[in-house]
Amino acid sequence: MITDTAIDAVRAAVASVADPEYPDLNIQQLGILEDVVADCSSIRVDLVPTIIGCPALDTIEKDVVAAARASGYEVTVRFCLAPLWTPDRISNDAREILAREYTVAIRPRNGLTKCPLCGHKALQHRSDVGATACRSVEWCPNCRNPIEVVRSRQMGER
Amino acid sequence: MTSEINDMIPDATAKELILAFADDELCVGQNHSWWIAVGPFLEEDLAFTSIAQDELGHARALYSLLSDDIDLVAYGRPHSQYRSAHIAELLCHDWPSALVRHVLHDLAEEIRWTAMLDSTWLELRTVATRALAEEQFHVHHAVSLVKRLLSTSEGHMRLASVLNELAPLGREYFAGSDVGLLASGVLDASLAEQERTWMKRVEDLLDEFELDIDWGVAIPSQGREGTRSKDFSALHDEMVAVLRIDPLASW
Repeated sequence: MITDTAIDAVRAAVASVADPEYPDLNIQQLGILEDVVADCSSIRVDLVPTIIGCPALDTIEKDVVAAARASGYEVTVRFCLAPLWTPDRISNDAREILAREYTVAIRPRNGLTKCPLCGHKALQHRSDVGATACRSVEWCPNCRNPIEVVRSRQMGER
Repeated sequence: MTSEINDMIPDATAKELILAFADDELCVGQNHSWWIAVGPFLEEDLAFTSIAQDELGHARALYSLLSDDIDLVAYGRPHSQYRSAHIAELLCHDWPSALVRHVLHDLAEEIRWTAMLDSTWLELRTVATRALAEEQFHVHHAVSLVKRLLSTSEGHMRLASVLNELAPLGREYFAGSDVGLLASGVLDASLAEQERTWMKRVEDLLDEFELDIDWGVAIPSQGREGTRSKDFSALHDEMVAVLRIDPLASW
């Protein structure tokens, strides 16, 4: 029998697992942690990958299992293909850290994307892919810097 | 009105279709990765690298519908048990043919996923929904670059012959059996319909550049029957190179 206390303890333990790409952020802030559930007699952690082919998935899985084990629980990890991960799942505090520490911009839910360096709001599209498959490249005509923007998963939004 | 969705048990034909699709994705993903660090310019280098990663991810998601041991299915079969279309196996030693295969492949891939969006095989439907969101970027990238190049005289000169050579081979993406798959709701467009949609899309893309593809007559698929092209062996050797050196290697 898996108690709610156990589920909550696992959730607390795995929420703080650092993202391999952005070690200042955890998987909860990035919206990768979907849920922790009781699955028959074991505990399962559901994660939502940013892209299907993300090479960091194995690392994240290992880190999640280790974090749960450190708090006394064995878990299995499932990567869910639904719901779709979108940048909307990134928390507000994480958006600030991404801008400040990584010069990575996130499209706001409404309005224009802001340059993380100078705050200019008319970035120009340059390339659909940046240094990773989940980021595109824009150009800030004001401070003249290339800016990486986390890609939306819908083409119309880029 | 009631609509009830029953998850169906995929039959051998459905599994064979998915295996062929996965093999196409695996081969193209691996082939795209040859361009890592040697793309003609930085943007293309990054784009091919990312798209390669996405295609390998699609292959992984499709194989996972068939087996729990994805590595064994992806890398461990005798060559005759792969089902890839020969155009996916093509090594494409030059940039124009790599780009042309990219556009032909991704236009086909988008149509193939779309036919699975409402599949009664629910896991397949989920994979298709997820993959199609990524696929739109691939198509956008390939189509916009091909258009840009075709609108210049040099680009036109260098791409036209490759398009004529490779486009007819792309028909093999739609080869194989779909018997019973419309009736069971695995697909909502037959392979023949998908092929027609694809040919129309290719023609529409090239129309404004006054390029006509001579499709010839459809030739029977060899790839789906288990015959590998001359390029497959080198491609497969590269895929399994690390595995052969150290079968227990991990990241």
